[in-house]
Parts: sequence; structure tokens; C-alpha cells
Amino acid sequence: MRKIVIPGDLLVDKPLRILDAIVEDDKTYSTIIGLYDEEKKTLIPLEGLWYPNRDDIVVGIIEESKLNTETVILNAPYKGLIISKYSESHMNSGDFIEANVKELDKTGTVILTRPKVLHDGKIIRIKPSKVNRVLGKANTMIKQITEGTKTRVVVGLNGLIWLNGGNIDLAIKAIETICKEAHTSGLTEKIRIMVGAPKQSEKIDRETEMKNNDQKVEEEMI
Amino acid sequence: MKGDVELIKNGKRLDGRLPGDLRDIKIKTNVVKNAQGSAYIEWGNNKIIAAIHGPNEALPRHTANPNKAVVKCRYMMAPFSSSEEHGRSGMNRRAVEISKVTGEVFENVILLDQFPGTEISIYVEVIQSDGGTRAAGITCAAVALAASGIPIKDLPFSVSAGKVGETVILDLNKIEDNYSDADMPVAVLPRTKEVVLLQMDGSLTKKQYDEAMELILEAGEKISKIQRDALISQYS
Repeated sequence: MRKIVIPGDLLVDKPLRILDAIVEDDKTYSTIIGLYDEEKKTLIPLEGLWYPNRDDIVVGIIEESKLNTETVILNAPYKGLIISKYSESHMNSGDFIEANVKELDKTGTVILTRPKVLHDGKIIRIKPSKVNRVLGKANTMIKQITEGTKTRVVVGLNGLIWLNGGNIDLAIKAIETICKEAHTSGLTEKIRIMVGAPKQSEKIDRETEMKNNDQKVEEEMI
Repeated sequence: MKGDVELIKNGKRLDGRLPGDLRDIKIKTNVVKNAQGSAYIEWGNNKIIAAIHGPNEALPRHTANPNKAVVKCRYMMAPFSSSEEHGRSGMNRRAVEISKVTGEVFENVILLDQFPGTEISIYVEVIQSDGGTRAAGITCAAVALAASGIPIKDLPFSVSAGKVGETVILDLNKIEDNYSDADMPVAVLPRTKEVVLLQMDGSLTKKQYDEAMELILEAGEKISKIQRDALISQYS
């Protein structure tokens, strides 16, 4: 049974280690707005910030390019930093990039590796807590959007999304709809109709049909 | 009573409320698109927008604390917010004071040690004022903070109490604020009943203070419910 909790709400009567919760007087309280699952004892944030973790994919904008380092704006409390020994391509300030998080150093700077310049395109900002919904289970949601609109999309876990080519406006509209209705169910189907992507089951049917055809051809050849 | 304004007639206040009544409160969340979190409150005739930015890199750098985040708060009244003078732009003495106390309320609430070296900005803009704006501002900013996803210990509420003659009243409006014998804005964390703001103009006896606090805590339950409804209604 899931229920919406707000900061200060009692989650459990005993001290438990739950993410985004605090323990006071041997009781556990929520510190954010979230969905609390009473059976699994988990708290899913409905609003939240992005904390850098190793190997997170992020999208950023180059702020300043110095001799051997580049600073990156990441839509986060901390700035990103690319050290030249981790990169091969040359970057100018204002370039959009995609990179992986290497580590968060003691001074609160996110060290990035494997940067890739994203040419042209557009960047939009969404709340980091909605990123998982935009990606969908096993990336189904974002695959639908790319298939339906023929837009190239790179989703950064920090809440910045880069889009290029195809029907960008429709893709942005779809992403905004996901963010607005993230807490509702049946969203995948709604977005599928919105962007006009083929049904997952249809796709599977088509693939099996093709496989069957191949088999038939093979059998005929034999 | 100061001046010659009769604030309580036949047991009722000028706007028809009883001494322990609150004004009507409405709260709406996420009204500003570009802020991390925001809220709009209508508290009687008060209209206030609060917005949260951050956590961001603390600038200028010397203000940063390497062990925790710093809270920067700005309370400001719009030039058109009241009939009195707020015409010149920028902070005045009163705005600086209220910014300081509002910031200190939230320093006690936000889990600051999760964001070392950063700053969290709280902006409270008063669009229309009718007394009790600092209390309404804190109540509104608390909702904005919760809506932003920044982890907080509790959702504080704030309301003022005062006295007219020997009668203790709750939630003073502009005229009552100007002519009453005491005015005491209080901010409380509802879970622990911890007081995080207490200021007072005028004087109260110990008995009157206890009575005022009782009224405030009673009203707090109603305010907390309005805050909760505002936060939850965006997901239903």
C-alpha cells in the first residue's frame, strides 16, 4: 500500500535506515515529499535533487575552457570539471556535452570522463526526480519518443536533456507531459499514442513474422 | 488601547472575526516555472509568492561554509503592496530584519550538512500586504521548500498573536497590528512543537503569553493541514 508523505511525517515507529528519511527519538520520519511503501519500507521521492554517483551519464554545457581543464554547468549544486587527460576532443565554451561521472572530489566538484561533444540541437531542463520516468522501465518510454519523432535524445541523470533532428517540438511536448503526469499510471500508452510510435506487441509480432518468413525461405531452400 | 480606534466591538473584531479566529488561507504550489520550488499564498488580504533556488555554488566564495550549506533569504515588499511607503526599490531596515529572521527559521529546518559548500536561496516577495506578512511568508516559503525537494526535518508554520486591551487575539491584520497593545509572531515546528521564531512588540503578562501560545498551537494544526493539502493536491 503506497501513500503520499510530506516532510515531517512519521514513517515507522522504530529506527530504520531509509533513504531520504531521518531518525529522531527512535522513530523514522520523512524529509521529502514521496510515495511511501508500507510493506517494502521504501520511500520514492516525488521531488528531489540529483546526487552525483560514479558512472552516471550527464548532459552539460561547457562554461569555461582553460589550458587543460574545462568547467561544465550541470544543473546541480556542484560544477563539473573535465581534465584533458580524460578527453581527446577539443571543446569550446557553450558546447553541449555528454559525459560520465568519474568521482565527486572533496571540494565538491564533479570530475567527468569520456566527454562527447553534442553538435547543434537543443537542451531542455527537467526536474531530476522525473528523469527515471522519462527513461521508463528498461528505457521503453524514451525509445517510444525517439521512434515516434525520429529525434535523437540524450537524457542526463542531472535533469538536462539534449535533443536534435526530427520533430523536436513533439518530443519536447511529450517529455513535458511525462513530467507533469509522472505520478499517474498508464502514461506509457498515452505517450505512445501522442508520438505515434508502434505498439510494443505489434513490434514483437512483426519481428516474429519476419523470423517465420526467414524460416520458411530457409525450409524452401532446403 | 493606543489611539482612538476601537478594535473589538461586542466581542467581535473589525473584520467580524472572534479573538481566536484565523483569516482564510489558500496555498498553491509550483507557480514559478524557473524556480526549484515555489508557492503562492493568500492569507486574508496578504498575497505572497515564495521561491527557492539551489542548492547552488555559494557566491561570493568567502560566504561558503565547507561543512554545510548556507541559507540566504530575501524578504521584499513590492512598491505597490501597501498604502504606506514602500516606493523605493531595494531593501530597507525592516526588510533586512525580516530576511534575517526568516533565514534563521529555515537554517533550523533544512538538512544543511548534505550540501557542503553550497547556498540555498529563499525569496519571499510580498505582492499585497495586510499585516502578518512575515508569518505568511514563512508559511509559504516552507511549502515552496518542500515542493523543491530539498530535504527538511519538518514543515514549519508561522502565525502571530497579540492583545487588544486585555483580550488576547490571533492573526492580527494591518489595523490591529498598528493599534494593538502587543504583537507576537511565532514560528513553530509542528512535530516537536519547537519554537524557531519568536518576536514581540509591546508587552504580555505570563498568563497572556501562555494563552497566546495556546491559540497559536491550536491554529497551527489548521495551517499545517492547509500546507499538507496544498502539497498533496498537485499529485491527485
